[in-house]
Amino acid sequence: MIIGENIHKSFGDLEVLKGVDLHVQPQEVVVLVGVSGSGKSTLLRCFNFLEMINEGSITIDGKKVDTKKDNLTKIRAEVGMVFQHFNLFPHKTVLENVIEAPITVKKMNKDKAKKLGLELLDKVGLSDKADVYPSKLSGGQKQRVAIARSLAMEPKVMLFDEPTSALDPELVGEVLQVMKQLAEEGMTMVVVTHEMKFAKEVADRIIMIDQGTIIESADPKTFFENPQHERTRQFIQLVE
Amino acid sequence: MFELFGTVFEVFMRTYPGFLEATVVTLQLTAVGVILGTVIGLVFALMKISGSKILQGIANVYITIIRGTPLIVQIMFLYFGIVEIYTMSNFWAGAIALGVHNGAYIAEIFRGAIQGVDPGQREASMSLGMNRKQTMQRIVFPQALRRSIPPLGNQFIITLKDSSLVYIIGVAEIFSLANREAAQSFQPFESFIVVALYYLVLVMIFTYLLRWYENRLDVDKT
Repeated sequence: MIIGENIHKSFGDLEVLKGVDLHVQPQEVVVLVGVSGSGKSTLLRCFNFLEMINEGSITIDGKKVDTKKDNLTKIRAEVGMVFQHFNLFPHKTVLENVIEAPITVKKMNKDKAKKLGLELLDKVGLSDKADVYPSKLSGGQKQRVAIARSLAMEPKVMLFDEPTSALDPELVGEVLQVMKQLAEEGMTMVVVTHEMKFAKEVADRIIMIDQGTIIESADPKTFFENPQHERTRQFIQLVE
Repeated sequence: MFELFGTVFEVFMRTYPGFLEATVVTLQLTAVGVILGTVIGLVFALMKISGSKILQGIANVYITIIRGTPLIVQIMFLYFGIVEIYTMSNFWAGAIALGVHNGAYIAEIFRGAIQGVDPGQREASMSLGMNRKQTMQRIVFPQALRRSIPPLGNQFIITLKDSSLVYIIGVAEIFSLANREAAQSFQPFESFIVVALYYLVLVMIFTYLLRWYENRLDVDKT
């Protein structure tokens, strides 16, 4: 579904990604882990072309993306992204947040969009909040709305950039629950997270990124019980 | 003290029919100045954030010149400069000068407000597949506009008071009336107190309306 090959990305003199290869299969749930500054969030942002890679290639759903020629807007519409800080639109109600892109981008008619929006809000357990503004919601609710908003574009793959890192501990569960449900429904997902319990339960594959390269890629059981790399062992000790 | 109060009141009663007429002119000048300034300001703000070096350059030259020269010079320049090429009334020369002057300041207000919107908003919008124009129109600009309202209100009040400067080209607004009244009646002190009161009341009404509008916006979104 996503194929990244030899991805290099630098910010000025700082090389953040040093030749990353990552193939994500359809319906696969890949969890990216690593210490902060390792490049995992940058990699995720490259898959959505919020950052442009300096070298290498990205193929989305069988189509190799040329960042110079291709219409990135169209490609982004097929790749959902959930941010650490939610980034809900504060001047729009919850429902308006969800239906904004289907109406603006897909030119969906308003009644149909509303119906879709309410279905998605129901799915994340927030249909009763449709008409309130985001400022009235808790962090966990905001993130669930953000997920619904992404789903409204019917993306082929969902990217999650530390979706629970900005949440109070008691609100983390409700967001992970929604993500787990999505995974079970067969959504292709790439998740950057520090929630190891989620990784263990939901991931098909856990990938450890360290200093801009992938050093470990394994199913959760192997990853936690028999890691190959010394840095991975240290990391697991740190988080457990 | 009571004597002064008496003569001010006397001047007020004698002059109010003229002043009411002149107040309309002042408000018209302000309205044109504000509307034109907002349009110009928006265009130049978008030029400044456009990413095009040429457009940015043009906007910078405009803003530098306007902010670097006094309004009264701009009014004279427009009045004598433009009238050479195109005949227009002194009202319009003054109103356009106010608008052009305002535009430079309002451009900076809009630019600051647009750039002050959380970059995450733009990213979220782009990640949903909205293009640059849709992102600006539907996500960034509405939020920027909301942030611009307090400084814009301030700028509108400045415009109202700055409109007094067009008396220099003979527009019959309230300051020019006060000036004439002062000379004719030999009561300059009282005349200027009266005109100061007109400005004060107008500004207070304006301030009240703005505050009402800001509160209404807040109530809506929280």
